[in-house]
Amino acid sequence: METDRLFDESYERGLLQGGTTCCPGCGGPLFWRMALDVLGPKTIAYGDGPCAMCALSNVKVPFFGLHFSFVADGSTGIVAALAAKGRGDITVVSSAGDGAIGDISFGKVSAAAERNENMIQVCVDNEAYMNTGIQKSGLTPFGAWTTTTPLGKGSPKKRIPMIIAQHGVPYVATVSVAYPRDLKAKIRKAKGIRGFRYIHTVMPCPTGWRFNPAKSVEVVRLGVQTWAWPLYEVEDGVLRLTLKPKQRPVEEYLRTQGRFRRLSQEQIEFIQRQVDAERRRLLKFDGKSIIH
Amino acid sequence: MEFTRMMEGNEAAAWAAKLSRVEVIPAYPITPQTELISHIASMIARGEMKAQYIKVEGEHTAMAAACGASAAGARVFTASSSQGICFMEEALWMPPGRRLPIVMCMVNRSIAPLGSLRPDHNDSLLQRDTGWIQLYCENSQEVLDTIIQAYRIGEDRRVYLPVAVCYDGYFVSATATPTTVPDQEDVDAFLPPYEHEMYSLMPEDYRRPAFPLNIAQARHGVQQAMERAKGVVEEVDREYAKRFGRGYDGLLEEYACDDAEAVLVTMGSMTGTARDVIDEMRAEGKLIGLVKLRGFRPFPTEELREMAKKYHAIGIVDRNTSYGSAGGGIVAIEAARALYPMDDRSLLLDFHVGLGGSDITMRQVRYMADRVLEALEKGKVEKEVEWVELLDLGEVM
Amino acid sequence: MSHVIRAFRPEADNEKCVRCGNCQTFCPEGTVMLTEEGVVFDYRYCKGCGICANECPVDAIKMVREA
Repeated sequence: METDRLFDESYERGLLQGGTTCCPGCGGPLFWRMALDVLGPKTIAYGDGPCAMCALSNVKVPFFGLHFSFVADGSTGIVAALAAKGRGDITVVSSAGDGAIGDISFGKVSAAAERNENMIQVCVDNEAYMNTGIQKSGLTPFGAWTTTTPLGKGSPKKRIPMIIAQHGVPYVATVSVAYPRDLKAKIRKAKGIRGFRYIHTVMPCPTGWRFNPAKSVEVVRLGVQTWAWPLYEVEDGVLRLTLKPKQRPVEEYLRTQGRFRRLSQEQIEFIQRQVDAERRRLLKFDGKSIIH
Repeated sequence: MEFTRMMEGNEAAAWAAKLSRVEVIPAYPITPQTELISHIASMIARGEMKAQYIKVEGEHTAMAAACGASAAGARVFTASSSQGICFMEEALWMPPGRRLPIVMCMVNRSIAPLGSLRPDHNDSLLQRDTGWIQLYCENSQEVLDTIIQAYRIGEDRRVYLPVAVCYDGYFVSATATPTTVPDQEDVDAFLPPYEHEMYSLMPEDYRRPAFPLNIAQARHGVQQAMERAKGVVEEVDREYAKRFGRGYDGLLEEYACDDAEAVLVTMGSMTGTARDVIDEMRAEGKLIGLVKLRGFRPFPTEELREMAKKYHAIGIVDRNTSYGSAGGGIVAIEAARALYPMDDRSLLLDFHVGLGGSDITMRQVRYMADRVLEALEKGKVEKEVEWVELLDLGEVM
Repeated sequence: MSHVIRAFRPEADNEKCVRCGNCQTFCPEGTVMLTEEGVVFDYRYCKGCGICANECPVDAIKMVREA
């Protein structure tokens, strides 16, 4: 078919083969299509972690992975090999999920940040261990249902981007697939910086968050608009909000997802207060150094 | 310029890494390996060695970084001991399965609890199922030579397996013995630059082995590589001996074994002590010999069977424990399996000694040699397994 | 060859289409393309998630039950 050839050429150019094993509506391949568009073919991808693998298996750049307990360390080796061979023209992007980065490999990411390893570390955050059947991770938000927190998670979401920023790395940014221009601009900026760069993307998960896959982009757009998922960057320690949307009530965002179905009105109000406090902090430090 | 001086095992290892022109060294300090990596750090700081030394935050990371670097085309070196080897256990399965020819020093140290900072062989032997080649060194010279040989062995296209160069902490790592450091040019002639046929992560030349659809087949591939490695270990050692004047008889060395029918089998630094005791006993007219096990993986099954036709009583010295095993220590169990199909099976004795790094004394070696000779004379084994350190041999410790 | 099983498939009304490109931008699989003729789909790999239909500002894409 005519269109077959058209699409095959498009997958080659886009560096991602269509037809991943990801769930319909998963934000994973969407993120990678946008990211690889900016990163280009002189990229080596490294990563693992079940959800991350589904999309990464389809990339058309050199790929190497170990296991999700090995975040940023295999890529540390790749970076060193490239340095030994004088190949500064190749970008190393390391990818892992929220469970990998927030829990089992937390120390590794911190260490790579401390060593200022020359790589872009991506966190594809779908807020739980999804591919293995929806188990809680340190980045699961307060009140969310998972199979291991059936009454809703009691502890708050671990604030990884800010923790990484405190290591004094050159660049940290949060992105959302609902805002492709913002996402691509940040990845383009990261590509041009040397040292440890950290990109944290929300990855909508219809399977684990419980919503109609068609609403995937809509849900994470609402996340940004309610300030549940603020978009910012921290460059050399200086915070900059890249979007300051007119704030919508967080309940609108929570109500789109089945995993928040059990939340009481009290809990929703608690979440609203948390979001408001975070929004105030971010606005207060907008344009200022946040390194303590 | 070739030179000879007194050198500790850890320093000899650092020299070997330098001469092997290793490119990436991800390493984490642990006693008794620490001097190895500080020597490397100093050499790099003085501009004498060109390598990317990654000061990782843990051993699990060290081995993962080693995998990434090796797949990306760099010659990799690392080292660890005991708890560190245990900590990187998960990662240690990667290089053999992925066919990445990393070389690492396992500076033997006993594992906690019921251990110390001093050596026994449980830490390296624990990895015997992973697919790593394992070679055990007796002294600093052998450490240096074996590391250089290890890159030739592992990077051989018939092999593509990682190699563990094992040597006892303190007894080798921190004991100075005369060591000859060969000329860089001579080593370059012996060891070409690293090229992996199966792997390249460079965008212009990307290649990697396909994900195995049949796991049994893939594992059998590793097994076959291990079997081919036997011939390669022998070949490389012979060539090294020709070029540098020092060889180690491949996987097994027979010492003072002429017309002996009884032998002790040793591994690691204890061999040095055993040589002296065997010499003494020989001078007394006792027909006892020594077999040094240099290669534990691949296990020299055929060679041992061939030797056992001459040696009717074999005493295995096991510097390790395997609680609840089929009978005794790990080396004895492997040797027993190797010797099992023989028509005229040799008598087999097993001795646990030097556990937790206690010194293996000349008196203990003599005790073990006497037991083997006794078994040969009586035509039977009184005790299959003995814990030598629990005996009172009249020594003041 | 791998086989995609879908419950719904997208179909485009190219008269209604205003050529904004949202569908192409937000398709996770890259199986939606905006051409001069309008919107085309790669039904070999489309999973029928429905994001394209949801993001279309003029409802030019409908999700139709797979036969």
